[in-house]
Amino acid sequence: MKKIYLHPLPIRIWHWINAISFIVLIITGLQIRYRELMGLMKFREAVDIHNFFGFVLIFNFFIWLVYYIVTGKIKIYIPPLNLKKFVVGGLRQARYYGYGILMGEQNPHHSTPDNKFNPMQQMAYLAIMMLLIPLQLGSGLLLWDAKRFADWINLAGGIKIVDTVHVFLFLFFTAFIFVHVYLATLGHTAMAHIKAMFTGYEELEEEHSH
Amino acid sequence: MSEESAEKISGKGTLGLVIFGPILGLLYVCLLPLIALMTLMLALPELASAKKTDILENSSACMSCHSSQEFTKTFRNKEKMSVFVNAKDFKSSVHRFLSCSDCHMNISLESHPGSAAAYESKDAFAVKAALACRNCHSDAQLKAKPNHGFIANKTNAPPCTSCHGAHTVKRISEWKPALSSNNQYCLTCHSQKISKKQKNGEMLSLSIDPSMLAASVHNKHNCSDCHTEYSKTSHPVKQFDSNRQHSVAVSAACNKCHADKYKAVSESIHYKLIGEGNLKAPVCTDCHGFHAVGPKSTYETMSGVPCKKCHDDIFKIYSKSVHGVAKAKGQHNAPLCSSCHFAHDVKVSAMTEKVKGACLGCHKDAEAKHTKWLPNASLHLSAISCAACHSPGSGKGIYLKLYDQETGKAFTEEQMVKILGTTGEGLSQKIDPHGDGIESDELWRLVSRMNEKGTNAKVTFIGKMDVSNVSEAHQLSYKKNAVKECENCHSQGSDFFKNVTVAVVKADGRLIRHKAKSEVLGSMFSLLTLKQFYVLGSTRLKGLDWLGIVMVFGGMAVPIAHITLRILTSPIREAKRMNGARKEGKR
Repeated sequence: MKKIYLHPLPIRIWHWINAISFIVLIITGLQIRYRELMGLMKFREAVDIHNFFGFVLIFNFFIWLVYYIVTGKIKIYIPPLNLKKFVVGGLRQARYYGYGILMGEQNPHHSTPDNKFNPMQQMAYLAIMMLLIPLQLGSGLLLWDAKRFADWINLAGGIKIVDTVHVFLFLFFTAFIFVHVYLATLGHTAMAHIKAMFTGYEELEEEHSH
Repeated sequence: MSEESAEKISGKGTLGLVIFGPILGLLYVCLLPLIALMTLMLALPELASAKKTDILENSSACMSCHSSQEFTKTFRNKEKMSVFVNAKDFKSSVHRFLSCSDCHMNISLESHPGSAAAYESKDAFAVKAALACRNCHSDAQLKAKPNHGFIANKTNAPPCTSCHGAHTVKRISEWKPALSSNNQYCLTCHSQKISKKQKNGEMLSLSIDPSMLAASVHNKHNCSDCHTEYSKTSHPVKQFDSNRQHSVAVSAACNKCHADKYKAVSESIHYKLIGEGNLKAPVCTDCHGFHAVGPKSTYETMSGVPCKKCHDDIFKIYSKSVHGVAKAKGQHNAPLCSSCHFAHDVKVSAMTEKVKGACLGCHKDAEAKHTKWLPNASLHLSAISCAACHSPGSGKGIYLKLYDQETGKAFTEEQMVKILGTTGEGLSQKIDPHGDGIESDELWRLVSRMNEKGTNAKVTFIGKMDVSNVSEAHQLSYKKNAVKECENCHSQGSDFFKNVTVAVVKADGRLIRHKAKSEVLGSMFSLLTLKQFYVLGSTRLKGLDWLGIVMVFGGMAVPIAHITLRILTSPIREAKRMNGARKEGKR
């Protein structure tokens, strides 16, 4: 069985810190917002934990950013300049998930360290990493000390606007995690991608020579 | 030589006796009756007048009893009065030529002493008895004296005797030298129980307790220093519409010396209320009194603070508070009403900002102390009034005020009225058109109207959390009783968010409250109207909650649907695999 080193160690560490932080932030976020429906912990504890993991996530984001920029691997997130190729690739990938996979077809995309994401992933992760995560971290930071960042909050239109953005993204990420985990099971075996995120090596299905 | 002289004299004396003796004898015999007659004639007028002045003789029947100090008279109200008449005093009085019956006309020996029960009281008797004075002293004569101006034709005027005495009546001119100062002159009447009637029928007491005046800070002043129109020669008769109007008018006198305080008062809420015709709003004399004006410290004690006269309900609450208890124990730096509301430029402490300044004025380390345990302490302190947490048991509420985002200042009613081109009443109508509690869309309409009409007003509502009732802001308690749990506020079920008020501040600090429905806090409109106000968990958008449910279930539905499709299509893949394996096998 061929193995390919897809996830370098810093990225694996980054990914699992992200994962844990997301889960904790979602739970404490729910506790902060829905006090009258949940009683896992006190409000104060929920806020303190949420703040702590919020900063962990901010720090983690910069680890990711610096690593990818320094190594130049950031390009795996950048879609090809050729729009036609990108759209066609995207449609092909969508067709695969909606039809091909059901018909037992092969995944049209083959991950390599230089071309890790399929066009759909590229699109999603570019938006998430470059737009949604910074927005979420930024809005979280503003809410963490609304007095200190009063000017930024005013610039954003007010604390209720900032909170709404933060909560909307929180809901998006919560929903996304279900899809993300499910897609992770769609390797050639259910655990293939998940294992790879621990070991770094993605096992490739033996290609049949025609 | 001495012998010769003696002889000569002796000779002459004998001759003189012989000559003048008979003449002198004749003269003596003739003139003596004449001298006696003349002496008698000279004495006659004296006798005549002696007959009149001697009351003991003229009114001996009366004085046989009234010269004794034993006798008293009892009135219906059980008051007792001595009927003793000091003959010596009477003889020195201006009425010494009168006999008892000249004044006491109705008394005859047949019926006297009659029933004392004919009079209700000593005063009633005095009024009746003093009517006798008017037999001789006409109205015209009375009115000629300025001091008497108010007496004529007044049924409630004090009896003459209360100023002039009954049997010791003297001319006022004889009294004057005995009066030490001008004040004494005025007090001659004004220490008596005198009063006057205002146009509305109210009685105004004109009595001054000389001991209170002496104890006041104004004891060095002359009456005329304040009562400038009055003097020994001038005593204008004034009648006001009411006692209230009298108080307002006389308080103007304070301005003469206390111009600084007077100016401060003119900036107070009390002054504003007076201007609006409020009859209860206090003027100088309502707090300081008329004549018993005390030193500043008088008004800074639990017993002497004048505010409680009107604000008794609040004072009672205050006196049970941590501050009131400390003050009562003699802790001088404990705050009293004026510590927060000021003494003369009395301010309405319209929620949070000003009151907070007052609290932090003494509790300078409050923010530092809160920072030790409260996250975002400064943010909390800016949005929550001290009383909201430190008045246990008080009702809570959210007060939404319209702010200009450019200046960070709340719009006053006057500004809003101007911007919207309406009146105070019209503004209320615009804020709560149906009068049934403000709804979120109505709030939005107000904001957009303000934004349209205002030149560059970027307006938004900002919420402040406070006690729901003004009185309750005064029941501040000990630190240990203060609210500490975050859940008190950061939970949608919290009391704060059930009680929403749209508050419009008048320029003088008063609040006009409009009830709002609590849905305004979580409606989608609040993104437009309350974008600067958010309490974690408590004022969350209802719409976002529903969107969240849809998104999260949507997120879960994707894998579930896909797995279902994969299960349903597994026979196709199985068939394809078998087919492929067969092909492989054939090869």
